[in-house]
Amino acid sequence: MNGHLRLEGLTLRYGPRQEPALADVDLDVVAGSSVAILGPSGSGKSTLLRLTAGLEEPTAGTVVLDGVDLSGTAAEKRGMAMVFQRPLLFPHLDVADNVAFADRVRGVSRRAARRRAREFLDLVQLPGFDRRAPRSLSGGQEQRVALARALAAEPRVLLLDEPFSALDTGLREEMYELLDELRLRLAPTVLLVTHDHREADALGDTVAVLDGGRLLQSGPMRRLYTRPVSLAVSRLLGGRNEIAGQVRDGWHHSALGALRVTTPVANGPGVLVVRQEAVQLTAPDAVDADAPGTVVRVRRRGPRALITVEVGERGPVPPARVTAELGPGPALPVGRDVGVLLPVEELAVVAADPDAAMHQATEVVESADDGQR
Amino acid sequence: MTRSAGRVAAGLGRLLLAAWFVLPLVPLVLWGVADRWSAPAVLPQEWGLSGAEDALAQGAGPALARSVGLGGLVAVLATPLGALAGRALASRHLPAPAVVGAVLLSPLVVPPFVVAMGFDVLLLRLGIPAGAGVVLLLTVAALPYTTYVLRTAYGAYDPGFDDEARTLGASPRQVLHRVQVPLLAPALAAAAFLAFLVGWSDYVVTVLVGGGRLVTLPLLVASAASAVGNEAQVAALSLLTVLPPVALLLTVAGIGRRARQVLP
Repeated sequence: MNGHLRLEGLTLRYGPRQEPALADVDLDVVAGSSVAILGPSGSGKSTLLRLTAGLEEPTAGTVVLDGVDLSGTAAEKRGMAMVFQRPLLFPHLDVADNVAFADRVRGVSRRAARRRAREFLDLVQLPGFDRRAPRSLSGGQEQRVALARALAAEPRVLLLDEPFSALDTGLREEMYELLDELRLRLAPTVLLVTHDHREADALGDTVAVLDGGRLLQSGPMRRLYTRPVSLAVSRLLGGRNEIAGQVRDGWHHSALGALRVTTPVANGPGVLVVRQEAVQLTAPDAVDADAPGTVVRVRRRGPRALITVEVGERGPVPPARVTAELGPGPALPVGRDVGVLLPVEELAVVAADPDAAMHQATEVVESADDGQR
Repeated sequence: MTRSAGRVAAGLGRLLLAAWFVLPLVPLVLWGVADRWSAPAVLPQEWGLSGAEDALAQGAGPALARSVGLGGLVAVLATPLGALAGRALASRHLPAPAVVGAVLLSPLVVPPFVVAMGFDVLLLRLGIPAGAGVVLLLTVAALPYTTYVLRTAYGAYDPGFDDEARTLGASPRQVLHRVQVPLLAPALAAAAFLAFLVGWSDYVVTVLVGGGRLVTLPLLVASAASAVGNEAQVAALSLLTVLPPVALLLTVAGIGRRARQVLP
């Protein structure tokens, strides 16, 4: 039930003079793996799935499944089932007939198809729901049935288009767990798109960041968090810290002082990015603190809090603001003097100019790979 | 107090509306079962089925069959054509949809008499049989109704269902049969019903183009009504013209109700 999916130079232009909706996207989804495409709305991520499924024709490029070029292959012959953001359960069929749909169009008898459908309903933890009408289901149940219906088609690739973004937080967590379980049991090849970096992290083995129809960066989420190739990637991943400065011989100079950057980076202007979760706050006179500062803003996020600290207000360069996301602990009120500690392995420097960013930063990541090997 | 008064007023309004629709049928039904009913009497003096017998003798049976056939053919032709036109109008790919829509609705504006007179000559010259000509013209007359109903239905139809069905392995033909037609069934039934009525109730086109050889129920009713003294026969024929569409209407409403039970 799993195939090796490869997208090669996938491009879609609606008109000859228009900006491409999707530009030269290459992507490799190994059999049995799950790749999440992360992008804001309008980034072309749904288009990417529709091209893969064969629901739209690319202007250029190919979709290759298990070494076979699918250009010109109709959607229904591609062996890819898709789950959309809306469950789209057929309202004239009961739950079992919905799940049995793929078998029925294949010519399987209704009785056999419904029997198999019940097995898939068990798999998505909806036993006994076979005779229910779709409109009697809750949002979460509907999406489970949609998932069962797609799995019952035994696709070689399962395509998920923001399937859980309409659900509330608790249900979404349940669906993540369900999908994890299904992956353990069936090992389907999954290509999914989402705008939520947490969802991409929860569901994808690797993540590809898409913006403006272009793939900006791909890799394991850990690396994307700590080594974004550009400000755009850092922002899409929810990064809050961007400290402008100058790079000289592997050191970044800013209001935070001179900080060593472990990855090779060219001299000149550069923006230091660091995840808010990685920033630590200490006593102002602690020996290991990188810079002293003052708490200027506190935002509660449930048990966690976002603490913004201003650093270097008396220095020669303009002050910088660093945000730290902290767990439960002693309260840090506005006005408190603290020390900011930035773990060196969490720091990355990207280009300030978004256009130049991709170029330079790609080199940064590649050389970072070399360093790891 | 005011709320209950409002409820009473609403009930009264409904009652009046119902009476408006049903009252004309009451004398019709009474005439249908009256053998003698002279002017001052409130109810018929003699009851009987001679009106129905006369109607049958005048060929009501074959005329009924012809009307059903004509209405059925018009429905069978105009419904799929209306579906195609409605789908095209509802999609955003049509150039100048307003113009196309106006052309498709134009048979409503042009009087059928004019169309029939004009086409009669044309059909004769082309050598098209009168019966086929009647069906052809009435199909065109029915198209505005089927197009309008199905354009609305396709406008509300979620094309995501088609995409979903196709990724599950359904060919375009299977998508049509297993998804689109069942989901659009209420609208298709309503459109077919309207098209049927166009064929069922037509008089002008059937007379002018059919040349009097295609005797349908409306023709029979008209010829019976133009004579004096056979009110019972006219009533029987009229009832025969009214009852089948009412039965059909109830069936169509049933399809709509069933569909609403499953649609969200």
